[in-house]
Amino acid sequence: MKKKTTGFRRKEMLWSLAFVAPPVLGFLIFGLAPLLTSFGLSFMSWDMMTPAKFVGADNFVKMAEDEKFYKALYNTFYLLLGIPLGMIVALVLAMMMNRPLKGISIFRTIYYIPVVSPIIAISLLWQWLLNYDYGIINEFIWRIFGVQGPNWLGDPNWVKPSFLMLGLWGGVGGTMVLYLAGLQGISSTYYEAAEVDGASRWHQFRHITLPLLSPIHFFVVVMGIIGTFQAFSQMYILTPDGGPEYSGGTIVFYIFQEAFKYFNMGYASAVAWVLGILIFIVTLIQFRFSKRWVYQD
Amino acid sequence: MVIWKQKWSHMSVAAMLVLSLGVTGCASNNNNGGGNTANTGGNAEQGTNDGKAAEGTNSAGANAGSSADAKSEIEFMGWGGDTEKAVFQKLIDDYMKKYPNKKVKYTVVPPGEYYQKLDTLIAAKKTPDVFYAGGAHFNKLVNSDQLLNLDSLVESTGAVDPNNVWKAGLDRYRFDGKTVGAGSLYGLPKDVGPWAMAYNKDLFDKAGLPYPSAKAGEYTWDDMLAAAQKLTVKNARGKIDTFGIAGFSLEAAVWGNGGDWIDYSTGTVTIDTPEFAEAMQFAADLGNKYKVSPTPDDEKAQNGYARFVAGKIAMFPMGPWDQPGFWNLPFKWDIAAWPASPKTGKTATWLGSLGFVVGKNTDYPEDAFQLAAYLSLDRDSQKQNYELGQAVPNLIDMAKGEFLQMDKAPQTRQVFLDIIEDYGRPPVEVGSKNLKWLDTFNQDASQVWTGKKTAAEFLKEEQPKLQKLYDEGNK
Repeated sequence: MKKKTTGFRRKEMLWSLAFVAPPVLGFLIFGLAPLLTSFGLSFMSWDMMTPAKFVGADNFVKMAEDEKFYKALYNTFYLLLGIPLGMIVALVLAMMMNRPLKGISIFRTIYYIPVVSPIIAISLLWQWLLNYDYGIINEFIWRIFGVQGPNWLGDPNWVKPSFLMLGLWGGVGGTMVLYLAGLQGISSTYYEAAEVDGASRWHQFRHITLPLLSPIHFFVVVMGIIGTFQAFSQMYILTPDGGPEYSGGTIVFYIFQEAFKYFNMGYASAVAWVLGILIFIVTLIQFRFSKRWVYQD
Repeated sequence: MVIWKQKWSHMSVAAMLVLSLGVTGCASNNNNGGGNTANTGGNAEQGTNDGKAAEGTNSAGANAGSSADAKSEIEFMGWGGDTEKAVFQKLIDDYMKKYPNKKVKYTVVPPGEYYQKLDTLIAAKKTPDVFYAGGAHFNKLVNSDQLLNLDSLVESTGAVDPNNVWKAGLDRYRFDGKTVGAGSLYGLPKDVGPWAMAYNKDLFDKAGLPYPSAKAGEYTWDDMLAAAQKLTVKNARGKIDTFGIAGFSLEAAVWGNGGDWIDYSTGTVTIDTPEFAEAMQFAADLGNKYKVSPTPDDEKAQNGYARFVAGKIAMFPMGPWDQPGFWNLPFKWDIAAWPASPKTGKTATWLGSLGFVVGKNTDYPEDAFQLAAYLSLDRDSQKQNYELGQAVPNLIDMAKGEFLQMDKAPQTRQVFLDIIEDYGRPPVEVGSKNLKWLDTFNQDASQVWTGKKTAAEFLKEEQPKLQKLYDEGNK
C-alpha cells in the first residue's frame, strides 16, 4: 500500500514538473539567457561578425559623453508629461461615463476602441491626421482659426507634442476603464454623508473621490512610467530616422538603432542596462512614496 | 480503477494542451521583437542547411573530379518588391532548367530588414551562398572577412569578361580594406544606378524655355535657377503650385563645386571647406530664398516624386529604375546632365550600385560564383531587365547598342551612359564601414534646409562632431 502511494506521488511529481516545464524553460531560454548575455555584452564590443572583444567599462564611459544618448533621455522624460495629462482626461471621461444613461456602454466602447487597435495602425492613422498640408488637424485649424497649423512631424518643437497627442488618444480609454471600475467601487454612503454635512460637489470630489481612487492613480502612474520608458513603435513609424534633429528618438529607439542599424551590440546592451536600472530605481522610489499617499483599505 | 483511468486520460490531454500552448507561446514571443524575427528565419533555414551538408559529403568524391555536373544547392538571398521578386524567380527557374543538377533556393527579404537578417545569419554561421551587398555594408563584410575573393574564379572560369562590364560597376566591388576600387574583386554588380535629371518637357514648352543640355558642363546652376524661377507658379491661394526643381542633389552640388564629405585616404571629414559651404547654401537657398524648390515642410506634405508625377515639378532627379513609373505619365519628359557649378564648370552625380557577393564559407564556391555571374551578366536576363525598365545593362556592348536604340522615354539615354563612364561617383557612404557619422550629418542638416542656420555656420560646428563619430566607427 505504502509502495503504491510513493509510485503515485512520483508520477504526480513528474506530472507537475511537466506542467511547470514550459513556462520555466521559456523563461530560461527567452528571458534569463538573453538577460545574462546582454549583461556580458555591455562590457564588450561586438558587431555580430567579428568575435566580441572585451572593452571593460568603455561603453559606459562613451555613453556619459554621447550627445545622442542625452537627447534620447530628454525626449523620453519629456514624454512622461503624457501621464498626468492622460490621467486628467481619463478621470473626466470616466466620471462622464459613470452615469446611468441609456446607451452609455456604446460610448464606453467607442473610447476603448483605440486601446485594442495595434499601435502600428494607430501610428499610420496619425501620420495622416498630422500631415502638414493635407492632415485633418491642420485643415481643422485652418477652417476655425484661419491660420496654418504647425508642421507636426517636421518641426523639432512639435514632434514630441504630436507623440503626446497620439498617446493620449490611444491610451486614455484603458485608463478610463480603470477609473470607471474605481468609481463604481466607491460606496455611495460616503457621498450621502458628505451631502448631509453640506459638502459641495467640489469638496466631495476633492476629499472623497480623489483619495479613494489613489490605488488606481498609483497603478496608472507606475505602468505609465514603465510604458513611456519603453516607447518605441510610434517613433519607429512616425519618425523612422529619429525625426528632425533627433527630436523623436526615445531611449529604446536609440537602443534599436545602435543594435540593428549600426550593429554596435555591446553599446546597445550597455544602454539597455542603464535603462533597466533607471526604470528599477524610479519604480522603487514610487513604491516607497506610495505609502504616504495611496489609500489601502 | 476506472475513475483513475479517466483521470489519467484527462490529465494527458491537459498536459498535451499545456505543452503545445507553451511551445506556441514561446514561438510567438520570439516573433515579437524586431530583431528576433530574423532568428526565426534562421531556424527555418537550418533544415535545408543540414540537408545540404549531408549531400555535400555524399558527393564529395564527385566534386573533386568535375564540378560542372555535380549536384549542388545554392542559397540565394536578396531583397525587393514584387516586381523584382518575379524577375529573379524567373531568372532562377531558367537557370535551374539549364543546369538541372544545380538547385537554387531563393529567399526574398523586405528591404528594411535585409541587413538585420543578413547579419544575424552571419552571426549564426548560416551565411547564404550568394546574396546582395552594397555600400558601407559591403566594406564591412570584406573587412570582417566574410566574402569570397573572386579573382581566381574570374580567371579560371572565364564567366566574366572584364572588358565588357562597366569599370565603375566592377571597381565598386574591389576593396583592399581601405580604398574602394583597389585590391581584389569581391562582388559582381547587380546594376549601376546613374542619378540623372529628368525634366518635364511640357512645362518647359509652356514657359518657352530651351531644354537643359544633355552634355555635362553646358547647363550651369545659374541657367537652372533662371529657368526654375520662370517655371515656378503660384495658385489662387497664394501657395506655390508648380516648382521649378525638387530634390536638387546635395552630393551633385558639392562634388561639382569641388568639395567632398570626406577624404577616405586620410579619414578626414572635409565638410568645413568653402566649396562645400557654397554648394550647400545654394541648395538650401533654392527652397528658402529663391522659393523655386519645395522646402522640407512642403516635402513632408507631399514628396517631390509625387509632385513630379503629378506634373507639378519641372526638374527632378531620377534613376533608371524610375522608368516604368514614368512611362505612363501624361506629359513628355527626358533626361539631362546634372547642372554644373558655374565656378568650376564641372558636374558630378551619384552612381549607385548593388552587388552580388559570395559567402566565404560556401560549400560550392564555383557554383555560387557561376550563379552570381549568371545573374549579373547573362545576356537574356540583362536584356529582360532593361526592357522592363529596371536598369541599364551591365554589359557595355549591349548598353551602347540595343539599349540606346530602345524607343521608349527617356529619349536621350546617352546621359545614363555618360554618368556611368564619366562623371558619376560612388555615394558618400562607399568607403565607410559605419555610417553613424553620415546619418548624423543628414539629420542635423535640417537646420540648414529650414533656414535656421547658414551652411557655413552649421558645417563649421558639425565637422568636429562628425570626425569623432567617423573615428569611433571606422578606425
